Amino acid sequence: MNYKLYKRTGQSTPDAVVLTRDDGSMTSFMFDPQNSDYIAFLKWIEEGNVPTPAEEQ
Amino acid sequence: MAYGVVNADKMTTSDGVSSSGLYGFKNRILNGQMVIDQRNAGASVTPANGASIYTLDRWSFYVSQASKLTTQQSSTAPTGFVNSLLVTSSSAYSVLTGDDFELRQFIEGYNTADLGFGTAGASTVTLSFWVRSSLTGTFGGAIRNSANDRSYVFSYTISSANTWEQKTVTIAGDTSGTWLTTNGRGMAVIFSLGAGSTFLKAAGSWGAGEYAGVTGQTNLVGTNGATFYITGVQLEKGSTATSFDYRPYGTELALCQRYYMKFYPGAYGPLGIGVATSTTAVSTIIQLPVTFRTKPTGITLAGEAFNATSGSPTGITYDQATVNAIMPYVNGTGFTSGNVVSIRGGGAGTTTLSIDGGEL
Repeated sequence: MNYKLYKRTGQSTPDAVVLTRDDGSMTSFMFDPQNSDYIAFLKWIEEGNVPTPAEEQ
Repeated sequence: MAYGVVNADKMTTSDGVSSSGLYGFKNRILNGQMVIDQRNAGASVTPANGASIYTLDRWSFYVSQASKLTTQQSSTAPTGFVNSLLVTSSSAYSVLTGDDFELRQFIEGYNTADLGFGTAGASTVTLSFWVRSSLTGTFGGAIRNSANDRSYVFSYTISSANTWEQKTVTIAGDTSGTWLTTNGRGMAVIFSLGAGSTFLKAAGSWGAGEYAGVTGQTNLVGTNGATFYITGVQLEKGSTATSFDYRPYGTELALCQRYYMKFYPGAYGPLGIGVATSTTAVSTIIQLPVTFRTKPTGITLAGEAFNATSGSPTGITYDQATVNAIMPYVNGTGFTSGNVVSIRGGGAGTTTLSIDGGEL
C-alpha cells in the first residue's frame, strides 16, 4: 500500500492523494474531511507514516 | 354508473391502504427492500470501527469496536421481497458503557423537509420493517437529527426465533431541535445491534442527546453467530403503515446513485473520453448518470486497468468534478499529447470505477 500526494490542476500545493493497494486497485481523493478515504489517510499519518511527495510540475 | 365526489381527509381501503401517503415519494428510505448493492455485489463485509461504513446502498454501519459483526446482502426474505440485509455476530461481546453498534440510513434533508421536524407543525411518521433474528427479545432503534442532539428511541419485540415478523412504529414528529432540510443529513433511522448505557434510554419520547437503542435491549453482538435480517424498511408520513412502496429497480438504482456510483464498463465498454495532455496523462470526462448530492471527492479503480484507443493506461488520479461529471487524469504511457482518447474497460471485463463523496 502506498500513498502519494499530488497537486490537482490549478493548485500550487498538494491537495489530493493517490492510494495504490497491493492488489493493484487505486483510490484517488481530495483533501476533504468528509471523505472516508481521506479520514483513513489522516489516521495513517497519525500512526507515523509518511506519504510519497508530490511530483514537481 | 353515477359519478360523484367523496369529501374526506383520508380514505382507507379494506386492506389497509391509506390515501394519506399513497401518492408520490411515499417511502423516505432508499433501498428499503435491500436490492441494490453496488459496492459489494453480495459479498460479506466486516465494517471497520470509528467511521460510517457503507455496505448495501444507502445503508451504513457505525461500530465502536472492530470485528464484532459481518454484513452482506441476503436472498433470505419474507414473502413479497427477494433480498434482505443480513448481520451476523462474530463473537460473544459484552458491550462497554460507551459502545455503539448501529445499522442506519441517513435521509437527505430534501426528502424529509416536508415533515416539518423542528417546527410546531411536525408530522407524525410511521416506520415499518420486516425483521428476523436467531435471537428473541426486545430490540431497539432510534431516529436522530444531524447534530445528534435530538433522539427518539423505539423498541420492538422479536417473538419467535428465525421467523420473519413485520414491525410498525409510529412516532409523533419532533417539534424541537434543528433538522436539516437541504442536502445534508435530514434524519437518521437507526437499528441498534448493541449499545452501552451511554446510548440507551427509555423508549417512546423525544429527548436531547445522542441515543441509539432502548434500555434493556437485546444486543446482537453479545451472542456469537447470532443473525439479524431486515428488509422492507419504510418511513412514511402519517400514523399508519401502508403497503411497501415498490419502486421500479431502475428508479431505486438511480435514487441510490445520487450518493454513490460504480461503473461496470465490461470488456472494452465505454467509460469516458479525453484529450492527452502529455505522453503519460489523459484528461478524461466521465459523465455521471445521476446528479450527485454534492461534488464527488474520490474515485477508485479496481479490477484491471482501463483500455484506451491509444496508449496504455495504468492508473487514474482525481482532478476535477462537479455534481454531474468527473474529470480525472487517466495515467499511463504512450499517449500523444493533443490526441483524443477513448477510455474503456479492460479486455477481461473486470474493470470497475467507483465514484465517492456523495454519501451523507
